[in-house]
Amino acid sequence: MVQIFDVSVFFIVFRETLEASVVISVMLAFIKQGVGKSAEDPTISKKLVRHVWVGSAIGFAICLVIGGTFIAVWYTLGTDAWGASEDIWEGVLSIVAAVIISVIGLAMLRLNKMKEKWRVKLSKALDDSTLHGKGRFRRFTRKYAMGILPFITILREGIEAIVFVGGVALSSPAKAFPLPVVCGLLAGGGIGFIMYKGGDFMKIQYFLIVATCFLYIVASGLFSKAVWFLENYQWSKAVGGDVAEEGDGPGSYDIRKSVWHVNCCNGQTSGGWMIFNAIFGWQNSATYGSVLAYNLYWIALMVSVLLMLFQEKHGHYPFLKSWTEKRKVAKSARKEKKRLESMSQELDSRDGDSETKEVSVTVV
Amino acid sequence: MRAFSLLAALAVSATASLAATVQYDFSVEWVQANPDGAYDRSFIGVNGAWPPPPIECNIHDRVIINVTNNLGNEPTAIHFHGLFMNGTNSMDGPVWVTQCPVPSGSNIIYNFTVDQPGTYWYHSHFSGQYPDGFRAPFIVYDRDEPFADAYDVDTYLTVSDYYHNSIPWLSANKFLILTNPTGAEPIPDAGLFNDSQNIKFKVEPNKTYKIRIINMGALVSQYVWFEDHDFQIVEVDGIYVEPAEASMIYITVAQRYTILLTTKNSTDKNYPMVTSFDTDMMDTLPDDLVWNVTGWLTYDENGEFPEPALIDEYDFYDDFNLVPYEKEEPYEPDYSITVDVSMQNLGDGVNYAFFNDLTYVAPNVPTLYTVMSSGNDSTDATVYGSNTHTYVLGYQEVVEIVLNNFDPGKHPFHLHGHVFQVVERSDASPDDETFLTYNPDEPGTINEYPMRRDTVYVRPNGYFVLRFLSNNPGVWFFHCHIEWHLQQGLALTLVEAPAEIQAQQVIPDDHYAACKAGGYAYEGNAAGNTVNLFDLTGEKLQPKPLPAGFTARGIVALVFSCISAFVGMGFITWYGLSDLKTTEREVAAIVGEPLDDSDESK
Repeated sequence: MVQIFDVSVFFIVFRETLEASVVISVMLAFIKQGVGKSAEDPTISKKLVRHVWVGSAIGFAICLVIGGTFIAVWYTLGTDAWGASEDIWEGVLSIVAAVIISVIGLAMLRLNKMKEKWRVKLSKALDDSTLHGKGRFRRFTRKYAMGILPFITILREGIEAIVFVGGVALSSPAKAFPLPVVCGLLAGGGIGFIMYKGGDFMKIQYFLIVATCFLYIVASGLFSKAVWFLENYQWSKAVGGDVAEEGDGPGSYDIRKSVWHVNCCNGQTSGGWMIFNAIFGWQNSATYGSVLAYNLYWIALMVSVLLMLFQEKHGHYPFLKSWTEKRKVAKSARKEKKRLESMSQELDSRDGDSETKEVSVTVV
Repeated sequence: MRAFSLLAALAVSATASLAATVQYDFSVEWVQANPDGAYDRSFIGVNGAWPPPPIECNIHDRVIINVTNNLGNEPTAIHFHGLFMNGTNSMDGPVWVTQCPVPSGSNIIYNFTVDQPGTYWYHSHFSGQYPDGFRAPFIVYDRDEPFADAYDVDTYLTVSDYYHNSIPWLSANKFLILTNPTGAEPIPDAGLFNDSQNIKFKVEPNKTYKIRIINMGALVSQYVWFEDHDFQIVEVDGIYVEPAEASMIYITVAQRYTILLTTKNSTDKNYPMVTSFDTDMMDTLPDDLVWNVTGWLTYDENGEFPEPALIDEYDFYDDFNLVPYEKEEPYEPDYSITVDVSMQNLGDGVNYAFFNDLTYVAPNVPTLYTVMSSGNDSTDATVYGSNTHTYVLGYQEVVEIVLNNFDPGKHPFHLHGHVFQVVERSDASPDDETFLTYNPDEPGTINEYPMRRDTVYVRPNGYFVLRFLSNNPGVWFFHCHIEWHLQQGLALTLVEAPAEIQAQQVIPDDHYAACKAGGYAYEGNAAGNTVNLFDLTGEKLQPKPLPAGFTARGIVALVFSCISAFVGMGFITWYGLSDLKTTEREVAAIVGEPLDDSDESK
C-alpha cells in the first residue's frame, strides 16, 4: 500500500490546495457580495467569476507542467544512486518531511483565521487597485484583478507544494505520486467548496482537528524513523555487506542500542506492518535513539502549542512583552510613513480631480 | 603353561628393547619468515627455525619431547594429532582437556610410545595458535607395512592455507565480535605447498614415490592433484587401505593421505601439481586471492615449468569408499550420542557454534585432572561442568556418534584418541531449507567394511554416523578442526572409562608444575571446587541468549511513546478549538481597529 500512496505527499498537496481554495472561495464570495463594481451589473458579476476561474485554471495548469517536468526529470536522471548511503538518504529526507509537516500542520487549524486574513488582504488589494490608474500595465492589472490574484496565489501555492513534495517524497517510487496528489487535490478542493457554500464552521474545524492529529502522528513517526535510519546506517557500515543476510534475525541490529527487537513484524518489509510503519513509525527493532526522538518530538510539539496559545492570547511570546511592543511601534511608524508618501504621490499624479482627501494622521 | 607365558614375556620385552627412544628438545620461539613472498612476519618456530622440524620415529618407539616455551607473550601446548596415547592420556595436549596451558618461561615433557604406523602431525592445541606456524609432520615408519616393496622413495608433502595476520588479532578484531553477526571466518591470504610456493618437487623417472600428504591448514579443505599422473591411495590417517586408484584427492584440514605415485618414463617435461582451495568454505572470494597453489613434479630442472591446465570440475576420490586393509564389519552400538550442529548468536551479539544447545566453554580445571581428583564421582558427568558438554563412556563399549549438520557449511570433525568407523555419511541436502538427519530405521549407504580414520567431514545440511570401541581410557576431545569454529565452541568432551584412568595412569609432576607456574587450578571439579564436587559455582558459562521479544525496557518504551502521542493529540485539539477568539484578535491587529469583544463568531 505504501508503494502507491505516499502519505506525506498527500498532506502537503492537501494543505496547499486548501489554502488555494480558501482564496478562490473568498474571491467568489466577494463577487457574490458585490465588491468591485459587480453590484451594479450581473453580467459583470459573471465576467468576474469567469476571471477568477480562468486565472486559477492557468495557474493550476502551469503548476502541473512545472511539477510534472520536475518529477520526470528527477526520476529519469537517476534515483538509483543510493547504494550504501540509502539509509542516510532516508534519514535526511524523513527529517525534512517531519519538519515540513510539523510547520504547516498547526496552520491548518487556523483556517478561519486564514479566511479572514485573506478577506481583509484581498479587499484591501481590490480597493487599492481602483485608486491607482496610471499606465497600461496598471490598467491591465486593474481590469483583470479578479483573475490575476487567484492566478498568483495558485501559482505560489502550487510551486510551494511541488518543492515540498519533491523534498519529501524522493525516496518513494514514481508510482507512489499520482494517487496522493489527486487525493490531496480533491480533499483540499472539497473543503474549500464547503467553506464557500458557507458550511458549518464547527464541523469543518472538528474534521481539521482530526486531520491535524493524524498529520502529526505521521510526522512524529517520520522523525523517529529518521533517527532510526541514521543509526541503521552506522550499523551497516560496522558490519559490512552481511547485514542484509540477517533479515529480521540476530545480527540485523546493534544489540547495544536495542530497546526492543522482535523477529517478525518488520516495518520495512512485511505487509500490514509497513502501514504501521508509515503511519506510526513502528519498527520491529527500536533503538534508544528512535524511541527518544519520538517522545521528544511530541514534547516539542506540546511546548510549541503552549507558546502559540500564549502568543495569541497576550499578543507576545512569554518573556518577550517589551520587545514585541517595540517592534509593533516601529512597524506602524513605518506603515504611516508609507501612507503619507503614497498620499502625496497621488496628489501629484491626480488627473483632474480636485477633490481633497482628508489626511488623518494617527500617532500611536 | 607358566613357562610359556614367561617365554612370551621375555619375547615381548626383547622386542620392546629393540624399540628406540627418540628424543627432541623444543625451544618454542618467535621466528621471522616469509613463505609466500609478501612480507616477513612472526611465526612460532622451534629452535630458531620455521617451519618447525618434522618428528620421525619407527613404530613401537618411545618419543620424548622436552618443550620449553620461550615465546614471551603466549602460553602453548602440543597435540600429536592421530596418536592414541594409550595409557598416557596426559600427553595428548589439548589445553583444559588434558593439561593446563604451558606459560611462557615454563616447560613440559611429552613422553609416550607410538604403536601405530603412518602419517600424523603435531600442532599447538592452545586457542587457535597453530596457524601462526606451530605445526609440522609426525611420521611413524613401519617396515612391515603391506606395500613396503611397492615404492622407492618415502617423502611427505604438506598443504596449508596461510594468514598474514596473527590469529589472536584476527579473532579479537575481525571474527569473534558483534559486528560479525554471521560468524564469517577470516579469509586466508594465500595457500602453501610445503610451507612455501612454486616448489620444485624433484623426481626421477620410473620410480614410485610414497608421498604422505598432510593438510596443516586452519580452515580450507584442498583438492590436490598431479597433472597427468594418477596414483594409489594406500593409507589415510594412519589406517592402511586397499590401494585405490585416483587422480585427485579432497583433503580437509588435519587429514592425511598417503599415496603411491609412479613417475613417467622420460624426463622431457615437468608436470604441474596443484593444491586448490575449496572455495565453498570461504565467505567471500577476494579478487587478489590466489587460491590455486602450484608446484611442479620436476623431472628436468632446466626445463620449462608450465602453468597448470584449467579443469572443469573437481573429480576427487570420495574417501567414504576406501576399504581398510584390516577389515572390520560395522560395529553394533552400545551407547549412542546424537549431536546437532548449528551456529547461533548469543546475547553479546557474537556468533557461536553449538552442539545441540551447548557451545563449549573451557573449565577452570583440565577435565583429566578433574577425573584424577574426583574419586568415585568421576563417573558423574556433572563434575566436569555445565558447558564442557561431557559424556562419560564405559570401558570396552561400542560408542556411536550421530552428527546432524544444521549448518550450510562443510565441517571436518576430529576425535582424539581413536580412529572411528565412518558408517554413514549423507550427501549435502538439496537446498538451504532442507536438512538430512540420521534415521536408523531408514539407513543410507553403509559399506560392507566401513572406512576408518580420525578426521572426517560432514556435508552441508547433512549427517554422518561414526562408531568406535572405547578401549582407550582417557579424556578425549571431539571437535571441528576448523580453528575458527573451535574458537566458537564447536567441541564436546568424552570421558572414557574414568575409573580405569584413575587406576592405570599418572600425571607427571612437570605437567602439574606448568599449572602452578601459570596460576591455574589443577584439582577439583570444573569450577575448581575440591570440597563439593557438585557445587559448580564459579565455573565459566556461555553468554546469555539474546532477549526474545519485548523485555521490560521495551514495554516501558512503547507504553510511554503511546502516552506521549495521546497527550500530544490532546494539545492539538485544544489548539484547534481555540481558533475562534484568536481570529477576531488577529483581524483587529491587521486592520488596526481595536478588538471588539462583542463580535459574534462566524
